[in-house]
Amino acid sequence: MRVNSSSYIPNVVKPEIMKLTFSLSLLFVVHLIYGQVTISGTVRDGETGETLIGATVFIEESGSGSSTNAYGFYSLETESQDSITLVYSYVGYQSERKRIGGRESRVIDVDLSGEGIDLEEVVVQSNSFREQLRSTQMSVENITTAEAKLLPAFFGEVDILKTIQLKPGIASGSEGRTGLFVRGGSPDQNLIVLDEAVVYNPNHLFGFFSTFNADAVKNVEIYKGGFPAEYGGRVSSVIDVKLRDGNDKKFSGSGGIGLITSRLTLEGPLIEDKSSFIVSGRRTYVDVFTRAVNRANEDNEDFNAIPNYYFYDFNAKVNYSLGERDRLFLSGYFGRDKFSFEDEVFTFGFDWGNATGTARWNHIFNQKLFSNTTFTFSDYDYEISNELTGFSFSLGSSVRDISLKSDFYYALSNSHDIKFGANVIRHQFDVGRLKAGSDDGEVSFSAGEQLTGLQFGAYVSDEMNWGDRLKANLGLRFSGFHNETTYLGLEPRAAFNYSLTDNLSLKASYARMMQYVHLVSTASLALPTDIWYPSTETVRPQISNQVAVGGALLLGDGYYLTNEYYYKKLDNQIEFANFAELFANDNLEEEFLFGEGYGYGMELGFEKKVGKLQGWLGYTLSYVRRREFASINGGNEFFPVFDRRHDFTAVGIYKFNKKYSLSATWVYGTGDRVWVPVSRIVHQGAPGADVEPFVTQYQEPRNEFRQPAYHRLDLGLVINFFPSWGESDLTISVYNVYDRRNPFFITLQPEFPDDFEDQTVGLEVPQGITAEQVSLFPILPSVTWNFKF
Amino acid sequence: MKNSKYIFAFLALLAAACDLTQEIDLELPDAGGQPVVECYLEPGEPYRLLLTRSSAYFDDFPQDPQEFIDQILIDSAEIEIRRGAETIPLDNVANIDFDFSKLYNYSSTELVPYDTLSDFELFILLPDGSSIEASTMILPVVPIDSVVIEFPEEEVDPDSIPKARALTYISDNPTQVNYYRRMYHWNSLDSIPEQDFVTSDDFVDNGTLVFGTGFDYPVGDTLYNSIFHMTEDYYNYQLSIFNSIAANANPFAPPGLIESNVRGSSDPLGIFTGLSIYRDTTIVEE
Repeated sequence: MRVNSSSYIPNVVKPEIMKLTFSLSLLFVVHLIYGQVTISGTVRDGETGETLIGATVFIEESGSGSSTNAYGFYSLETESQDSITLVYSYVGYQSERKRIGGRESRVIDVDLSGEGIDLEEVVVQSNSFREQLRSTQMSVENITTAEAKLLPAFFGEVDILKTIQLKPGIASGSEGRTGLFVRGGSPDQNLIVLDEAVVYNPNHLFGFFSTFNADAVKNVEIYKGGFPAEYGGRVSSVIDVKLRDGNDKKFSGSGGIGLITSRLTLEGPLIEDKSSFIVSGRRTYVDVFTRAVNRANEDNEDFNAIPNYYFYDFNAKVNYSLGERDRLFLSGYFGRDKFSFEDEVFTFGFDWGNATGTARWNHIFNQKLFSNTTFTFSDYDYEISNELTGFSFSLGSSVRDISLKSDFYYALSNSHDIKFGANVIRHQFDVGRLKAGSDDGEVSFSAGEQLTGLQFGAYVSDEMNWGDRLKANLGLRFSGFHNETTYLGLEPRAAFNYSLTDNLSLKASYARMMQYVHLVSTASLALPTDIWYPSTETVRPQISNQVAVGGALLLGDGYYLTNEYYYKKLDNQIEFANFAELFANDNLEEEFLFGEGYGYGMELGFEKKVGKLQGWLGYTLSYVRRREFASINGGNEFFPVFDRRHDFTAVGIYKFNKKYSLSATWVYGTGDRVWVPVSRIVHQGAPGADVEPFVTQYQEPRNEFRQPAYHRLDLGLVINFFPSWGESDLTISVYNVYDRRNPFFITLQPEFPDDFEDQTVGLEVPQGITAEQVSLFPILPSVTWNFKF
Repeated sequence: MKNSKYIFAFLALLAAACDLTQEIDLELPDAGGQPVVECYLEPGEPYRLLLTRSSAYFDDFPQDPQEFIDQILIDSAEIEIRRGAETIPLDNVANIDFDFSKLYNYSSTELVPYDTLSDFELFILLPDGSSIEASTMILPVVPIDSVVIEFPEEEVDPDSIPKARALTYISDNPTQVNYYRRMYHWNSLDSIPEQDFVTSDDFVDNGTLVFGTGFDYPVGDTLYNSIFHMTEDYYNYQLSIFNSIAANANPFAPPGLIESNVRGSSDPLGIFTGLSIYRDTTIVEE
C-alpha cells in the first residue's frame, strides 16, 4: 500500500491547522461563561408541518439573531433578563412574535402561517435578501419548487435543474439539456445529492429532463464556490436537493397531466403531528401511443416498428417523531428510463436509472447541540441487452455507494456557530461488464472490471462574528480515499463578509475541493452509458482551488445586486485518448489523459422581489482553458467546448392577481466551442472497401470554432382555479417563442446531384460541401393541468 | 458509441420532421496539401501505392472525375519498398485493379510475396524534397473455419420468401492480441460492403469468433465473407478513419485525429500495411 498524503498536505497549511485547532479549543472554554440563556427550537410550516430552511429568528431586545439550519433547527443565546421578544419570519409567511420569560433557557417550536399574505408579497425565495447580505456564504443560488412552477417549462415539465441554469454562473450544456457547467467545471464535477444521497446521473432522456420530480422537491441549493466544510467530493459545485417531508396535518394530494408525463403526489399524516408520509410518481406515456401504432401495423410489411421509450420515477418519504428530541426520516428515489425494440428475430433493450435511499436521524442533545446522522444508499446502472436467434449480448456498468455520515451543529454563542462531522462512503464500481455469445456456449465474449474504494472525510467549521461588521466562516476538511493506494488531503475553507453599511457587504472566499471518483465520458452530451471510475495509482484525485471576491448591495427592501469575481485552478483533470474505447475495455486507464485547467470570470446578478413584477437579471463573463495534456495539442492550452464567453439571463414573473400570472425568460449565450474539421482526404481503402472521397480530417488545436450564439425566449401563463375540492391551474408554456434555430451541432455534408445513387464501389465525386447547423427544438407550445386537493 | 446510433436516429428523425437543419457560413483556415499515402501489400498482387494530397474542406470538387483525380494525385515522387536486402522501386505508373475498382498512381510489376517473417519498409522522396517513411509486415492469414447458413426456426410469414443468415466462424489465437477487419459483400465483391468494421480479440473467451448477418438472404444469393488479419497500426488507422467519418455526422461521436503510421519531414498521413485476407464465397441454399 502506498500512502500519498504528503503531496496533498502542503507544509504552508500545517501551521494554519494548528492555529485553527487552538482557537476552536479556546472557544469551547469561553462557552463556560454563565449569565446567558439559550432559546432553541424548530420552525415549521403551520399548514403542512414541513420544516422551514433558513427561517430567521431574532431577539428584539438585543438585536441578535439566527436562522434555521437545513433541518429547521435554530439556537441562539442572549443575556438573562425578565422577558425576551422573539420574532420569527420566513418569506411568504406571516411573521410570528412571541414574548417569553427570559430568566431560563427554553425550547420554542413555532409554526408559521402562509395565509393572509397578499399575493404580490409572496416572494418565492426562502432566504431573505437581508439574510443573504449578512451571510458569509457567497456563490450560492437557491430555488424552490414554488418559484420553478411559475416559470415557463420545456414541454410543460417543471424542471428544477433547468430552472437553476437561469441563475448567473451556471451554464447549461446546450439545447434543452440539464447538464451544468459551473465556473469552468465540467458536469461530472458537480456533486448532486438528493436528501443527502448522491445522484450519479441526474438525467432522463439523454439530459432533456432531470430526475427530480418538482412535486416532491422542497428546495434546491447550488454552491458555485465558497463551499462550506461539510461538503466534499466534487471540485466544481454542490447541488443539494431536499425532498419534502409530507403534510403531517391533513391528507392531501396534487398532480398534473401534461403532454409528456402525468404526475401524482399523495401525502398526509400517519400519526397526527408525529408522523407523515409523502409518495410521488410520474411517468411518460409516449410509448402507449407507439405501442398502439406498432400493433395497428403488425400486418403491414412496409412498416418499420417504432422503438418504445418511457421513463418514470418514484419518490417516497416517511418521517416519525420519537419525541421532542428525536426524529427519524426514511426516503427513497427510484427512477428508470427504458428503451426497447422488438421484432420477429431481434430484441433490443436499453434501460438505465438511479436508486437512492436515505435513513436519517435528527437528535437534539441539548439546546446548543443538534446532530444529523444519515445512512444512504445510492446506485446507478445501465444495461444494454440484445438477443438475436441463438445469440445474446449484454453490456452494463454500475456504481453503488453506501455511506454513513454524522453532522453536528453546535451553537456555542451568538458569535460562534460550529459545525463538525465525519463521513465514510464505500464505493463499488462495475465497469464495462460485457457478456456475449451463442446460446450453445460455442462462442463466448466477456469483459469487465470490478473496483471498490473507501472514501472518508471529517470537518470542522466555525461561523463567527468579529465585531458588528466582520463575519467569517473558517473551516477545514480532511478527506481521503483508499483502494489499491491511499490518498489523503486537506481542504481548507474560508469565507468573509465585511458590512460596509447596513445595505452593502463585501465578501471573499477560498475553497479547496478534492474529487476521488471520475466520470468516463467523451461525448459533450449526457449519455446513460457515461460511467464512473475511482481514483487509482494512475488516476489521481482531481483538485480545485477557488478564490472569489465580490459584493452585495441591498437597494430598498426588495432589490438585491450581487457582483462576484472568481478564479479557479483545476489539477489532475481528465480527458480521454483519441477515439478512446470506453464502453467495454479491460484496460480503461490506458485511455485516460491527465492535465490541468483553469477558469476565471465575473458574475453579475440583480433580483427584484417586490411588487407585481418580480424576477432577476444575470450576466456571466467567463474564460476556461485546459492545458498540459501530453497527447492533446502538444501539451499547450486548448479550449474545452464549454468555454462560453457571455451568458445573459432575464427572468420576469408578473402576477396580475390570484388567478393569473405571466412569466417570461430570455437567455443568451455565446455559442459553444466546437472542433470542426478543416481539411479532407480521399480515402480509397483496401480492396473490397468503399471509396470515401471526403473523410473529415480534424486537426489541432481543437475547439477553435464557435457555434452561432444561442438565444431563446420562453413565455408562461398560469391560470389558477379555486374549485370547492381544492385548487387547480392550467399552465401554458411556449418554448422558443420566436422560433429561433439554435445550434445543436454542426456537420459538413457533401452535396450530390438529386439523381445520385451510391450503389457501387468507386469514386463518386460530390458537387460540393456545405456546413449545416442542426437544431433540435422549434417553437414548442405545451399545456399542463395541475391540481391540488 | 454503438448504441449512440439509436439516440442519433431519434434526434435526426426529430430534426428532419421539423426542418431543423440550415446551411451556415463557416470560415475555415487555409488547410490541405498534406501528403496522404495508402499502400496495402497484398500477397500475390503487385506492389502498388496511392499518393494523394489532402484538400481544404471547402475546396471545389471538379465534376470531371479525371480532373478531380489529377487535382489530388501527387506525381513525380521517388518511391521504393525494401524487404530485407531486396529493394522494389515503384514507378509513377497508374495501376487499376478492375476487380475492386481501385486506382494506384505508383506500382511495380513485381508481386508481393506471402512473407510473414520479413519487415517491409517504405521510402518516399516527394518532388519538394521532403520525405515519407514507414514500415510494416504481413501477418499470417486467419482462415474462416466455416460459414453456416441458417433459416429462422419459426416460420415468420408463410407467404413470404424464406431468408437466411450467415454465421462466419474463425479461430482466434489466444496467446497474442489480434485485430480483425470483417467485411462481407452481397452478390458482388465490387459493391459497397454490407458490413465493414474492425475489432480486436480482447474479449474472446474460448478462442472462437463469430460474425453474423441478419435474416436477409434468400436461396440463390451469394455472400462474400472476408476476414482481414490486421496489424495494430492498420487497426488504429482504419478505426480512426471510421470514427472521423462518424464524428462529422453524429453529435454523440467525439472528433479525433486520424492515426497514421507514416512519418517524415512532409508531415504525411496514411497507412502502409500488409494485407492478410481470407475470402469465402457462399451461395445460400436450403
